Amino acid sequence: METLQHLDADGTLVGPEPELSDETMVEVMEAMVTIRTLDERMMALQRQGRVGFYGQARGQEAAVASAVPLTEDDWVWPALREGGIALTRGYTIEQYLHHLFGTVEAVEKGRSMPCHYSDKEVNQVSFSSCIGNHLPQAVGAAYAADYKGRDQVMMAYLGDGATSEPDFHYAMNFGALWEAPCVLFCQNNQWSISVPFEQQTATDTIAEKGVAYDVPSVRIDGNDVFAVHEAARDAVQRARDGHGPTLIESVTYRRGGHSSSDDPDRYRSDEELERWRRRDPIDRFRTYLSQRGLWDEEREAAFVASVESTIDDAIEAAEAAPKPPIESMFTDVHAEMPPHIQEQLELLEAEQEDG
Amino acid sequence: MADDLVQVLDADGNVTGEVPPLKDDRMLEMYELMVTTRMLDERMMQLQRQGRLGFYLTATGEEAAHVGSTMACRDPDWIVPQYREPGTFLARGMPLTSFIDQLFGNEEDLTKGRQMPNHFSYRDGNVLSVSSPVGSQIPHATGIGYAADYRGDDVASLVYFGDGATSQGEFHTGLNFAGVLDTPSVFVCKNNGWAISLPFEEQTASETIAQKADAYGFPGVRVDGNDILAVYQVTKEAMDRARDGGGPTLIECRTYRLGSHSSSDDPSRYRPEEELEDWETRDPIDRYRDFLAERGIWDNDVEEEIRQQIEDEIETALDAAKDKPDPPLESMFDDVYEEMPPHLEEQRDELLDEAESSQ
Repeated sequence: METLQHLDADGTLVGPEPELSDETMVEVMEAMVTIRTLDERMMALQRQGRVGFYGQARGQEAAVASAVPLTEDDWVWPALREGGIALTRGYTIEQYLHHLFGTVEAVEKGRSMPCHYSDKEVNQVSFSSCIGNHLPQAVGAAYAADYKGRDQVMMAYLGDGATSEPDFHYAMNFGALWEAPCVLFCQNNQWSISVPFEQQTATDTIAEKGVAYDVPSVRIDGNDVFAVHEAARDAVQRARDGHGPTLIESVTYRRGGHSSSDDPDRYRSDEELERWRRRDPIDRFRTYLSQRGLWDEEREAAFVASVESTIDDAIEAAEAAPKPPIESMFTDVHAEMPPHIQEQLELLEAEQEDG
Repeated sequence: MADDLVQVLDADGNVTGEVPPLKDDRMLEMYELMVTTRMLDERMMQLQRQGRLGFYLTATGEEAAHVGSTMACRDPDWIVPQYREPGTFLARGMPLTSFIDQLFGNEEDLTKGRQMPNHFSYRDGNVLSVSSPVGSQIPHATGIGYAADYRGDDVASLVYFGDGATSQGEFHTGLNFAGVLDTPSVFVCKNNGWAISLPFEEQTASETIAQKADAYGFPGVRVDGNDILAVYQVTKEAMDRARDGGGPTLIECRTYRLGSHSSSDDPSRYRPEEELEDWETRDPIDRYRDFLAERGIWDNDVEEEIRQQIEDEIETALDAAKDKPDPPLESMFDDVYEEMPPHLEEQRDELLDEAESSQ
């Protein structure tokens, strides 16, 4: 199966003139740089013991271009590495930090692990760690949107490992049967924690799995912003036009650990890492934008400095913010608190007072 | 895709492909197994309607798909059944009396009255137990294949399932691991057009089941499931390839369930009469009989002899089954622990006391 590429690893345009406006291209570049800057800072905080856990997107930043074709009404169903997509849709760095620190200001009220971003305001549901289980949910939401006549597309992200889960099978099968307006965007980053792609499936590609469900599929260079954008644009349009799901295999590479709890040196080679470093999505896009006169080192340095400063302020705010009140763990499940929960709440409060 | 359907005999019994090199007695044995299965279906459904059997599942219309594929296996191979393969158990040597004892759940039932009717199990023939949860048997076949490969046994596994099972998670898990681990496993889907009341068109958006193999990196073959010679040939090639280290195969047998899903189902509620009539013209037994007649292996005398013999066997087994007692009450405590733990012993004694005092 062919892999769609418009911008090669050196930043040379090998495809058609991009359809993205100059302004959008710069926005995508800024989003990618923001993610990388955040990742570096957050990993440092994690190593200092100030954040409990972190999952970086290093090497996979071009995936943000897949969110460009989405409207405000569309929904994002993320996997572990799509926090940056929420940022492009209005979620702020300050919210990002409150989430990681689990403060009273965090949208999830401190109830989720770090990196399980969620924000109703930007139509991004929470990542749930169980691999692949959000895929049938995305298909169900798409089916519901279609049933209710809403113009909404569900954009679901997954990794190569999730394709072996039954939930992927259900989602693809039902999605195709119902022609649900959704897109399955698989970031094939070659490793499911420590399982290499060759041990994940006997197929050469993820894209060819679409045949089993009669779902059209496409394989793209996931480190090429233009290929990512084009594939997502076509798939979103197809879904919106009532023609059902598309499977996109975005071939990329996770340059960091699976998470801050992982040490990839234990299972993968330096040569492989180096090979992928040379295909960095930001480097190649920087080269292209610089040639177009839309970006340069100076501009990048200034942008990074401003992101750094926003991050600094956000860290300060998050560290200063109190934790959510202990009684908040009893709220938000029942419209009216049932007596047995009420009793537990009172017991806890009494104990807190004694303590 | 329909053009890719492997066929040796057309619906009228004309040879359209290459006839596998089977001896005459083997060919007749396959016919007898199909006829036995059909006759059992008729008789057992009658008993079920009379209230003498709690439940029954017929395989009417699907005889070629399961008998042909089972006959393509070797003795040491393992077969993992779905629930519509009576001929598989018989072909693997299960005596007709054991078959009927299982339906009655009596003392001589090999599953000791612990299973629903039709949930046969036959260890001597390397056939696993039928398990009702749809698709749950598929990863078992992958595991058996993997184990055989690991131990260096010259053995392959074959598993049966229906079109409905292909939408289950276990189908995905079983086939994915088979592909990755390159196990000697053959996955036989009997696509009979209906998953209880759900038609194939609502089961999957793909045109065929066979193409689903593409998602797992191994070959998928589509065969006329009402053509026993084609089913035999395709399965034999797949099993040989599996034993030779060539990995798994998915076989889609295109067939039709002429009866109901089970004795608890009424298909006239959901499927059109014309569809049934159309498939009746493609009956797997009729076309094979025509072929055997053409070959000089079959004639009316042979038919009469076979039918009389099977009928006698069935009636003898039924008479005997009726008179056999139920399994002893205390047997429900057996076969889980090698040595019975004290708490079970206590429960057993309590039950036996109660049973005695209520007599």
